Formats: sequence, structure tokens, C-alpha cells
Amino acid sequence: MRWRPVPAWLGYVGAAALVVGTTAVGAATRTVLDVPDVEMLYVLAVLVAAVFLGRGPAVAAAAVGVLAYDYLFVPPVYTLNVADGRYLFTFAMMFGIGLLVSSLAERAQAAAVRAESETLRGTLLSSVSHDLRTPLAAITGAATTLRDQAVDEETRRELVGAICDEAERMERMVGNLLDMTRLTSGTVAPRREWIPVEEVAGAALARTERLLARHRVRTEIPSGAAMIRADPVLLEQLLVNLLENAARHTPPGTEVVLRAEAGPSGLALEVADRGPGVPAGEEERVFERFHRGGRSDGGGAGLGLAIARAVAEVHGGTLHVEPNEGGGARFRLHLPASGASPAVPREPEAPGPGGPGREGA
Amino acid sequence: MSDATGLVLVVEDEPQMRRFLRASLGAEGYRVREAWTVADGLREVAAEHPDAVLLDLGLPDGDGLELVRRVREWSQVPVIVVSARGREEEKVAALDAGADDYLAKPFGTKELLARLRVALRHARAGTGPTDPVIQAGPLRLDLERREASVDGRAVRLTPIEWRLLALLARHAGKVLTHAQILREVWGPNAASQTHYVRVFMAELRRKIEADPSRPRLLLTEPGVGYRLADAPAPDPAPGGDGAR
Repeated sequence: MRWRPVPAWLGYVGAAALVVGTTAVGAATRTVLDVPDVEMLYVLAVLVAAVFLGRGPAVAAAAVGVLAYDYLFVPPVYTLNVADGRYLFTFAMMFGIGLLVSSLAERAQAAAVRAESETLRGTLLSSVSHDLRTPLAAITGAATTLRDQAVDEETRRELVGAICDEAERMERMVGNLLDMTRLTSGTVAPRREWIPVEEVAGAALARTERLLARHRVRTEIPSGAAMIRADPVLLEQLLVNLLENAARHTPPGTEVVLRAEAGPSGLALEVADRGPGVPAGEEERVFERFHRGGRSDGGGAGLGLAIARAVAEVHGGTLHVEPNEGGGARFRLHLPASGASPAVPREPEAPGPGGPGREGA
Repeated sequence: MSDATGLVLVVEDEPQMRRFLRASLGAEGYRVREAWTVADGLREVAAEHPDAVLLDLGLPDGDGLELVRRVREWSQVPVIVVSARGREEEKVAALDAGADDYLAKPFGTKELLARLRVALRHARAGTGPTDPVIQAGPLRLDLERREASVDGRAVRLTPIEWRLLALLARHAGKVLTHAQILREVWGPNAASQTHYVRVFMAELRRKIEADPSRPRLLLTEPGVGYRLADAPAPDPAPGGDGAR
């Protein structure tokens, strides 16, 4: 069960609408129903308000309901006088039901929310501990071998290499977890600055260079300083995660293209690969936390794409995956245009140092 | 290493990190002194006159930033700060307060030694006459004659581009923050206009990089600033980063 909190004023409007509706039904069925039966209709309205709208609207529905019921149905009709003391008891019951049911509903909602976050935390903890333990086991194994056994030079090099690689993998995972926590806790506001697209792309490619060393990486970024207003660190992280994803899910030797297109509606940035592609029906699931495309080697706890999407969203953008024409997957980020690029003071076309001026090209 | 004979002060509260630094710096021929706290660190700098300080920013008795500020009141000893990735503001604050460079945790030995060599070289150069010709990989800058060339091919630069490139070249291998670059090139009033630097840097890359979208010389340090590569890799071979 997932309840969306209703804004307070809307709750009261709903309560009023319920009482008005009940009154209309009561009036219409007056000839059929006896007066005490009409009160059951009001009790129903209060119950509905209590369950769906909360305590305040439930009490309001009870109060207005009592007044309407008393004024329109309880003899003497069209006065707020009560001839029979029994009705006072009815009024008290309506308030009581409103309070009791609304507090029960609140408690049930809180329990549901708690259970949901417990499940999430449980999934997160078990996934993280498993993912961290795998590289840790490799490191412990390699390190204790080096400490306790005599090994030849080649084995030594291999073990030391394994320790470095696995430590790096752990660092990536921890980095991903921290990013995810910061992004979903709502504590990071993007620090937006005007940055050339080329610069972010270059920084992301530099950081993934080793990972993509055996792929053919190509960039298609229009020259000319296309600028985007975004958080440079977050946007770089987004691209790094897309490139890491390509490195991990496509065979060595295949091509990875980083492409940028600036248009009036904003900026599109793509990472297109020639790997097996994303299976039909999985296009949204790959962005879920802890989802791994069927493989668990060298991964970042299945968080890379979830982080990428979260970064896109804090910038008001979108991130999707679609089939790449000719095979493979194409991750496409769209960031909405954010106004005109800022002015940069032009230089006078005065002669530059040591030469007669600016180079033509 | 001919210049690996200095005394390095390590200010770090984690024993395992000190152990790693002691071992790797010692193996390279450096003498190492250790301090656990800001107070100890300050005392050591005053008493031992180290050639360089390696400073962790998260210390138990205060902010490493405080140490940078205090030391800078009377000493120009190179300070390299160590802090985690994702804490870019912290690094920028330390650099703007006078630290010379930074290392993002976790870092590899290669990266550590490269940063240290650059810092020591700049500190030594600062005391003697400066060489008017700076060579950084394929890039050659003649500060006296105001000439720039890449692989022997002359590059024409506008006055601002020249100032920008000369500034980075004078600090080759060291990171410069956006604020530092703005102050030096555009003057103190432009300190918040980071997009100036970015636009001119893009322009500069187009003139001196083989592929401006994959720079080998003018490196971006996201969220921090720029660095002119000290000894750039000629092709996509493993770079200076151990673990990014």
C-alpha cells in the first residue's frame, strides 16, 4: 500500500463534498428510509473521510454531518433543536468513529511505510555486503598468499595485480553507494555552472580511459563551444557511469561512441555501443537500483545506471536506453535548454604576443 | 631519483595510511616525519623545516585547512592535501588557502610520487632564477619571447590565451583552481566568472590539443580546476592514475 499524502486543504474540501453528497442522497431517499437510517449514511461519510482523508477532515465531516443531519432530518426539522435525547448519543458516536478510525488508518499507513523502507534497507544491505565481500575475499586471498607462501615472480605479479584491481573495484562500489545516498537523500542540490560540453566529455573519457582501453572509442562532439548549465561533477559522473556500463557489457574491440547534439530544446548526449543491447522489456529495469544485466563481474553494485538517471533527473532531464541502429544499445540523455549562454568578454583583435594577431582557423 | 632526498612531513591520523606512506616514500629515498594532529603538524613544520608536507584534511583536533592557513603565514613549504573524492569544495578551499596540490583518496604510489616531485621541483625553482623556456611534453613556451609551439609548430594565441597558457605552464603539473586562474588572468573582480576560464580553455584546447575532446595537455579536474600535464602520455596508454 502506498499512500500519497493529501494536501490539508484538499482533505477538508473532500470532507465537505462527502457531507454534501450524503445529504443529497439522504434527501433523495427520504421517502424510502426512516430518519435513524439516514444517520448511517452520515456515519459512512465520516468513515470514508477518516480512512482516506485523515483525522482533521474526519472530525470536520462529523461536525458538519451532525449539523446537516440535525437541521434537515432530525425532528423538529429546519432547526438545530433536538427533540429526542437519543440523537445526542448519535452525534457523539459520529465524532468517536471519526477519531478512532482516522487514527487507526494513520497507524496502518505508518506501518506500511516502515515495512517498505525496511525491505529496501534489507535489500540494500544484503546486496552491498555481498558485493563488497567478493572483492574483499580476492584481496584477502591474494595478500595472505603473498604473506604466508613462497611464490615465484610471475605469481607474485599476478596476485599484486589482483589486489590492485579488486581494491579499485571496491572503491568504485563505495563511490557509487555514496553518490546514490547523496542523490536520493535530497541533500545535494546540483551546483549548476555553464560548462562546455566538450570539457565534461573530455573529463569523463579521461577517467574511463583505462577501462575502455580495449574498445574503439570515438567522439562526435560538434566543435564550437556548446555550453550547458549543469553541475560539472555530477554530469561527469553520469557520463562516466554510462561509459563504464558500455565497457562492462560490450566485448573488447567493439566501438563506443560518445555523441553530443545541441538543439533549441536542449542538449542530447549519447553513449552508443555495439554490444548485445538491452533485451526488449528491460529498458526501464536497467535503471533500477541493484539491477544487473545478468552479470555480476566487475560491477558497481548495479547502481551505475540508477545514479546516472538520478543525476539526469536532478537536472530536470531524462535518460533512456534504446536500440542502436545496426545493433547495440544507445543511452540517450536529454537536458532541457537553460537559457542563453552567458556572455564572455571578447578580446580586442589586437596583435597577440609574438605575432600579428589571432590565428585564422 | 636524484631529487628524492628531501624530508617529507606526513600529517595523518590513520595509522594504516601512515604505514603505507612511510613505506612508499621511504622506498623512494625520502626521509619521513609523522604527525597525528594539526598542533603536532604545526610544531613539526616549525622545528624540522620539511621540504614538503602531505596533509590529510580530516584530522581529529581540527581542520587540515587551518594548518594550511597557519603555515602560509610564515612558510612557503609545498603542501599537498589528501581528501576523498566527492569533497571537491574541501579541496578547492585548501588550494585557495595556499595548498599546492591535492590527492584524492584512494590514490596509488605513482600518483603520490608524481605530485610530490612536481611540488618539490616548483619549490626549488621558486628560489633560483626561472628558466624562460618551459617544456611540457610536446608543448614549448618561451616566456621571454612570448612564443608557443606544439611539436615545433608555432601556435598563435590571443593575449588572454597567452596569459592563461603561460600561467598553467609556470605551474606545470600542479592543479590551479578556477578562482586562482581568474584572479591571475582576469583580475580580482572576475573571481566568480568560472565560465570565462572554461570558454577560453576550450579555445586553447582547440589550438594546442590534437583532439580537443580528449585533451592530453590541458587536463580538467572536475569541480576543482585545471592542470597542465607534466609529462603527458602520447597515446591512450595507462595514465598517471592508479585508482583514478
